[in-house]
Amino acid sequence: MDPRKNKKICQKPKEKDCQKTRACGRREFLKGAARAAALSGAAMLAGCGGGMLGSKEELSLRWKEYFKKHYRLMTQQEKDETIRRLEQLAKINNNVNIQMSSAAPIDGVLFGYAFNVTRCEGYMECVAACVKENNLDRKSNMQYIRIFEMEHGQMSPEVGNAKYYHQVPVEDHFYMGVQCYHCQNAPCVKACPTKATWQEPDGIVVVDYDWCIGCRYCIAACPYYGRRFNWNDPVVPKEEMTKKQHYLGNRMRGRGQMEKCTFCVQRSRAGRLPACVEACPTGARVFGNLLDPDSEIRFVLKNKKVFRWKEDLGTDPKFWYFID
Amino acid sequence: MYKNATAPFVDEKQIDTVFALPVKTVRVMEKYQGGYFRTETRTDNIQRFKCSQCHNNKPVRVAKAAEMAHGEIVLVHGSQTRPLSCYTCHNKDERDFLVTEQGINVDMDHSYQLCGQCHFRQKKDWVGGAHGKRISYWAGQRVVKNCTACHNPHSPRFEKRWPKTYSPPLSKSK
Repeated sequence: MDPRKNKKICQKPKEKDCQKTRACGRREFLKGAARAAALSGAAMLAGCGGGMLGSKEELSLRWKEYFKKHYRLMTQQEKDETIRRLEQLAKINNNVNIQMSSAAPIDGVLFGYAFNVTRCEGYMECVAACVKENNLDRKSNMQYIRIFEMEHGQMSPEVGNAKYYHQVPVEDHFYMGVQCYHCQNAPCVKACPTKATWQEPDGIVVVDYDWCIGCRYCIAACPYYGRRFNWNDPVVPKEEMTKKQHYLGNRMRGRGQMEKCTFCVQRSRAGRLPACVEACPTGARVFGNLLDPDSEIRFVLKNKKVFRWKEDLGTDPKFWYFID
Repeated sequence: MYKNATAPFVDEKQIDTVFALPVKTVRVMEKYQGGYFRTETRTDNIQRFKCSQCHNNKPVRVAKAAEMAHGEIVLVHGSQTRPLSCYTCHNKDERDFLVTEQGINVDMDHSYQLCGQCHFRQKKDWVGGAHGKRISYWAGQRVVKNCTACHNPHSPRFEKRWPKTYSPPLSKSK
């Protein structure tokens, strides 16, 4: 419930006050308006909202949700409270039981990703798994990952074809997956005017959806087309919804909010592989801890021929491509 | 920053949401940079294992034997000039085992030892972590898929098929 909508309710008592006192100076007017606003707010919490605005419980939850803090300024207790509220709201609005977490980054972990250009065959299992895991909008067909079909010798996905729909793999072509690269020096983070997006200590660039104002500066700033915008409220069928959610990850977004790949923060912080890695039928995707000298990702960086897309921009993406 | 990180990461102790996998695993007889690792077993996934139930030099009565006698296997493995045959990999005398070129028996669970004879580059990458994939977890005990989990050993190349989904066009003009 948007409290700004209260204006209509506020205005009526305002006029009455004026008529009573007759001397309707600016100060009296403001006093009256403030009193009326406080009264109507209290009245709304007391259940005067009526059926149109939802139940009393829902209204109270939404009211509290509206005035919560930025995720990074919340104490653990406040995080727990907002998570409980969001779970209750999901139960009331959609009748789904979700389990949300606010798992913190793990010490000594910096996530890195490698993509084997030789192995990928373009089956797009990763894309389907990502859509399902991250509760992406089915209506606008939103996808975080794009797979480009490229001819031998082409070096950049900008000249590749992402709209292919035929049997794969095709002779003399290779496939290159593109998603958010979680740059260590991320341009999108610098562009955000409300600090709604930032990099977590484990290297994941996340969005606090409730602090996003939808200005889309980050889309313009990202040189990799890594971000997605919700032009409408996302539509996810209730039975297909992933119930295990994270506050910064796959919880439901709203209209006018930015979203992006989070390396499946709800999975990776629990020690699991992201959905795209788990779904890949050819093993072209490698995920792991860059700070662990024994991890697979470090083996790839040490022993394989790796490159990063648009490395000259200095964004320091934590996403490497490699060839066999 | 991450290129110089050398402190070992003991993830079993730090992440309490990593659980044991619900699959049978076996310790790989190779070492990678972090010590030992495990792989899925193969023998549970083979229907009608043990092979010596039928292949045992004795006359056996089996219902529907003609249908069951591996007629569906198509062998597309090896070069066109030198294709492989059944006994390149399977032991003719002891049917429960595979056999290397040197005549050493290899258990079905350790088939990487057999595949690695020719595909030694892939085996090196598989041991290190650049080929193949881990199961479910990036943390905890390293458990990887074995060769035959992804490749059909009789025709190991991935099949040509339709992609699972498609991408919508970004803009109408392009």
